Amino acid sequence: MAKTIGQEFVKGLWEEIPPFRLVLGLCPTLAVTKSVENGIGMGLATTFVLVCANLLVSILSGIIPSKIRIACFIIIIATFVTVVELMMQAYAYQLFQNLGIFIPLIVVNCIVLGRAEAFASKNRVIPSLADGLGIGVGFTLSLTAISAVRECLGNGTLLGYSVFGPAFEPFSFMVEAPGAFICLGLLLCIMNIIGQK
Amino acid sequence: MPNPTKLTVSHAPFLHDGSEISNKQYNIIAATLLAVIAGLLQYGIPALGVLTLSVGSAMAWELLMNLLTRRPVSIGDGNAALIGLLFAMLLPAVVPWWLVVTGTFVAVVIGKQIYGGIGGNPFNPVVVAYAILMISWPMFLDFNAALVDYQFDFTAGFPLVLYKAYGTAGLESFSPGGLLLGQQAGGIGATFGLGLIIGGIYLILRGFIRWEIAVSFLAGIFITALCFNLYNPEVYAGPVFHILTGYALIGAFFLAPEDSSSPVHFTPMLIYGLLGGFLTVLIRNLGAHVDGVIYAILIINLVHPIIDKIRPKAMRRVMHHA
Amino acid sequence: MREMVKMVIVLTVLSSLSGGLLAALKNNTQDRIDSQVLTFVKGPAIENILEGATNDPVNDRFSLKVEGEEEERNFFVGVYDGTPRAVAFETRASGYGGDMGVMVAFNVETGEIMGVSVTTHNETPGVGATVETNTDFKNQFAGLPADAEPNVKKDGGSINAMSGATITSRAVCKAVSRATDLYQQLQSQIKDQVKTFTG
Repeated sequence: MAKTIGQEFVKGLWEEIPPFRLVLGLCPTLAVTKSVENGIGMGLATTFVLVCANLLVSILSGIIPSKIRIACFIIIIATFVTVVELMMQAYAYQLFQNLGIFIPLIVVNCIVLGRAEAFASKNRVIPSLADGLGIGVGFTLSLTAISAVRECLGNGTLLGYSVFGPAFEPFSFMVEAPGAFICLGLLLCIMNIIGQK
Repeated sequence: MPNPTKLTVSHAPFLHDGSEISNKQYNIIAATLLAVIAGLLQYGIPALGVLTLSVGSAMAWELLMNLLTRRPVSIGDGNAALIGLLFAMLLPAVVPWWLVVTGTFVAVVIGKQIYGGIGGNPFNPVVVAYAILMISWPMFLDFNAALVDYQFDFTAGFPLVLYKAYGTAGLESFSPGGLLLGQQAGGIGATFGLGLIIGGIYLILRGFIRWEIAVSFLAGIFITALCFNLYNPEVYAGPVFHILTGYALIGAFFLAPEDSSSPVHFTPMLIYGLLGGFLTVLIRNLGAHVDGVIYAILIINLVHPIIDKIRPKAMRRVMHHA
Repeated sequence: MREMVKMVIVLTVLSSLSGGLLAALKNNTQDRIDSQVLTFVKGPAIENILEGATNDPVNDRFSLKVEGEEEERNFFVGVYDGTPRAVAFETRASGYGGDMGVMVAFNVETGEIMGVSVTTHNETPGVGATVETNTDFKNQFAGLPADAEPNVKKDGGSINAMSGATITSRAVCKAVSRATDLYQQLQSQIKDQVKTFTG
């Protein structure tokens, strides 16, 4: 537990990077990574919720009775998720259209509740912030990686710009749901190969 | 280290006919030859190109995965070549090269090697690859479009497409005898019905595939098609048509009986085959897709571990817990 | 007992704080969200099919109650050369990837379909999703009479389906048929309402 704040942040980027290491939060991972834009948007939304929820949970952890802590965490998380949803509708409507139901579903994303329960409720404010930010950025990076592969192969574009030129016939299987599973599996496999060394 | 005094019993299947893996693979390859040669005669050089590219790239992917996973090189057992060959047999004669290479990548790497190589795959690798390509590039696997440059002395249409579009009215120009001799558009090695049947019978007689699966698959198609046909002969084609078109024959003899994705007990094999045939006709007659064989085989692959639990009852009184 | 009271108080306070915050935020963003919905969901589709209208059809709208439906439907009016000549509204049908919305515009004077455009869909990218840009396919609907029941050729109709995307094409046909039904049902009301928009 004697980690520095820097270490708390960095562990979310490799050691405990979701969803590759902590295989949590698969629902948004599989569903929204059809394009890089969606992946980054989802990642940032989750990061915001993670940081705010971690912050508030670590501040309130002294007050919240342990018997109803899960209910309280869910209220806190749900509040921030709704904030994200409303803000996104008002200022980034097209992103909201693409992410759709998966924004409200951040509430039940295991990563957020998991960090609140496993880390923020037991730690001080600053480490909790670092932890939330680290996990959030890690999640954003993984979503970006998966969605980059899927958008590239499945649509021939990256962030909307054509990668392979007009002659490329998109491998549309990759943007379908089964393609998401296969893509996630292959990336996990590569991560494990690298991690073994 | 295994203890030499201990008798290690591996789990089922116990079926073993004394031959090696490679022996079986080469025999299946030999069994396809009639149909393949007929396809090559019909479609000429482009078909040969697709065939060699498919077999070659399948073996190359296998070699690459062997090296990457640091396992013994297994291209000698002929399984990769067989996958490439069967995959090419399903394709139209004119397809872009990258489609073939992607297809064999999916078949060998995602369909087979990821699960630990031969014998570990839950699905038939060829069927997985073809299904994924069908989702991604339906326009290149459309037989009527791909074969538009060919001149045939028979109705040059993929019978199932015509059937889907016009019902039985589109089928007047197809006779069972003609279909049997390959007078239809279709996959390189999937049209010459007689060759496929001869190859299949050879494999059954030599014991390389189980007759239960092949026969029950065709029986499933026959019975289901017959029911539809009797219900409304104006709309639904007869059973003979269903068996002789599309991938029905190649599916029954070469795709459905694949080793690790099909059952090993008698009753489960019958259920497996019947279910496959039933689903095939169901998809063809009612579904949105033109040919149901590929998806039907994927589905029966998926359920085979469950139906394989149906086993003969013990021949004595079984104690039940009161 | 004290713990019980504490639990109740903590939960109540937390919930009411959260509720208050969200209510305030919702109030502040409501207008913006409404206009975003109109601009991004319906706007492009409407502009697409009412091309050349001199007014802003997204603003010039009226709503009518349709029998058997709870919410009122929006109708968008297009003004050409000073006379309100077109009306557009949205119908839905289910495509390959679920519900899709289709905006259909009618010429009020002749009763013909002026154009068809897709608002929301969830079709396969590269296959069904090409319906967004496939003008050849959508132009087939223009000029059909208001009592038309368009159908793809496979189903015995006259519309050429998009290649490889029969189900999506069918869904568009279905949505257009629903629009023609609705238009005939509400024709007189629509005509009365449209007259009030005089550019």
